[in-house]
Amino acid sequence: MILFFLCICSIEVLHAQNLQLKFVPFAGKQSLVLMDSTYHTALNEPITFRNFLFYVSHIQLTNDKGHTVYLNNAYYLLNASDTASLTIHLPVKPQSIVAIQFTIGVDSIKNVSGIQTGSLDPMLGMFWTWNTGYIFAKLEGNSPVSKAPAHYVTYHIGGYKHNENALRVIQLNISKKQWVHQIDIGADVLAWFNGKQPLSIQEHPICHSPGKLAMQIADNYAQMFHIIHVE
Amino acid sequence: MKWQITILTIILFVVIATGFTIHSSKPTPLVFKVPPGWPQPVYNFKENPLTVQGFELGKKLFYDGRLSKDGNFPCAGCHQQFAAFATYDHNLSHGYDNSLTIRNAPALQNLAWQKALMWDGGINHLDAQPLAPITAPNEMAETIENIIKKLNADPEYPSLFKQAFGTKEISTKRIMQALSQFELMLVSCNSKYDKVMHGEAAFNLPESLGYAIFKQKCASCHKEPFFTDFSYRNTGLPMDDVLQDVGRMKITEKTADSLKFKVPSLRNVAVTQPYGHDGRFFFLINVFDHYRKSIIVGPTTDSLLRNKLPLSNYEIGQLTAFLYTLTDSSFLKDPRFAPPGYTIIPSFMHVH
Ligand code: HEC
Ligand code: HEC
Repeated sequence: MILFFLCICSIEVLHAQNLQLKFVPFAGKQSLVLMDSTYHTALNEPITFRNFLFYVSHIQLTNDKGHTVYLNNAYYLLNASDTASLTIHLPVKPQSIVAIQFTIGVDSIKNVSGIQTGSLDPMLGMFWTWNTGYIFAKLEGNSPVSKAPAHYVTYHIGGYKHNENALRVIQLNISKKQWVHQIDIGADVLAWFNGKQPLSIQEHPICHSPGKLAMQIADNYAQMFHIIHVE
Repeated sequence: MKWQITILTIILFVVIATGFTIHSSKPTPLVFKVPPGWPQPVYNFKENPLTVQGFELGKKLFYDGRLSKDGNFPCAGCHQQFAAFATYDHNLSHGYDNSLTIRNAPALQNLAWQKALMWDGGINHLDAQPLAPITAPNEMAETIENIIKKLNADPEYPSLFKQAFGTKEISTKRIMQALSQFELMLVSCNSKYDKVMHGEAAFNLPESLGYAIFKQKCASCHKEPFFTDFSYRNTGLPMDDVLQDVGRMKITEKTADSLKFKVPSLRNVAVTQPYGHDGRFFFLINVFDHYRKSIIVGPTTDSLLRNKLPLSNYEIGQLTAFLYTLTDSSFLKDPRFAPPGYTIIPSFMHVH
């Protein structure tokens, strides 16, 4: 019993000693509220959100000497409806870092080698069964301007093949040079609709397969991250 | 005398004990034989080594209705052994809640050599294939979570997973790997045609004339030994206006792939009727009539078929005789692939 207690304690301590990434879902300047709140996109189309999920992988840190701190690659599924999933405990100690880099999505090898486990288990619903491959990011909701049944808006973004590649690498700089143990990163859902190719809900209420539209939306959401706070 | 008995007891104990540990810890490897003259399979067996226990578990799952929402639609409901694991006598198969599939269920055979599955090649790995029928609302309409719950509640399954994979854990990956182990063993390579190729039998006259015509007019797409080159082609079938199936283009989104479908294997073709991706041809003669009369030439129609495929009635008779030599009755009746524990055809195989 005591041993068990000790184990729990040490796990807690271990976590506290590790560098943490905390993703905070935003809608514009406010934090995202699922289901209840209506927001407006860049094209002034109203939308309420129901689901917001994305995969983060290939996390890399750059320390203040300019060296890359490689981490064993892991795949994290972040889900706005599941607070615990939004914090990533990196397997490294707090340290002085100047930049962080990560990939949104699941690289091609995992898309072509059968069934994966853990956060990549197809059971989690981030997987296309009829056209094998991972859904890298999902944004679902409702909008009165959507012409889809029940005014649904569903964006399932993925694609690992040549010419359909929706993997996006994100690089964020950390301005203050300091001993870092937690980085809070905002993820703004409204950024999905903004960018080089603004996304009109009326025109495209649905994206359910890899291809041009998926790549455009991925370009947009590659801009959704910003550092809110570093501790 | 006494010490001899002691030693004997010890030896006996050790033998029994090792017997037990061998039995309980390691599943028995199952050998996958590549038929002579065939290429190496594309399936990566190193990731999922075949074992007797894995195969048996896969077979049980394949025949188990609990993989579907209401228990009525096991894989085997649409993939029947006597039809080379196609759906016998159905253009489209029946799924959950009186629904129909949108395509004809193909034979399941020689899957270890298939790079991509389905008529449009949309699925890139055999292990990932079952996710499609299991979750499709017009097929098995179930979720993996629920299946795992049902299997965990079963008195037998957890220990069968332990025998096959070392622990009782039931996961998506293990369910899929077990199904693959069963499906990979579905090798059809023992038809009369195969025996002729190995010098163990001889074609009669119509069969050998048919084979000659086949090599000339069909084999560029239906390539030996699989009787498919696994490519996607448009054979000039007009699109069904209800199903609106664009085939390969659904996956690639390229107009150049519109109306292309995977060249089906012709092994066991005599028992897999109806034919074509939507089962529109009820008999072989309908397929031949299509090739010689009804090809609709469109922008993506295969260059080999742009002038139709002239076939005389004699040639059709001879081709038919040849195609019948592709029936592998030892495969269709192989007791290894029959429903576990059944000697008669179970009720779910009832044909509507
Ligand atoms: C309701 C009928 C139905 C059920 C149930 C069903 N299938 Fe199928 N199966 C089909 C149809 C129809 C196709 C062709 C689909 C397509 O090409 O889009 C197919 C295709 C396949 C293929 C691809 C074969 C090839 O050559 O490309 C495999 C493998 C397969 N099924 C295995 C299974 C397994 C394993 C299960 C159980 C988990 C299962 N099926 C359940 C109807 C069914
Ligand atoms: C240009 C390539 C090509 C040629 C040549 C060709 N086929 Fe086919 N065959 C196909 C394709 C592709 C299909 C599937 C068509 C579909 O359903 O869309 C098919 C389907 C069939 C089927 C139906 C099989 C099933 O299980 O559904 C039969 C039987 C068949 N072909 C026999 C023949 C014969 C016999 C010849 C020679 C006289 C021939 N084919 C020539 C490509 C070809």
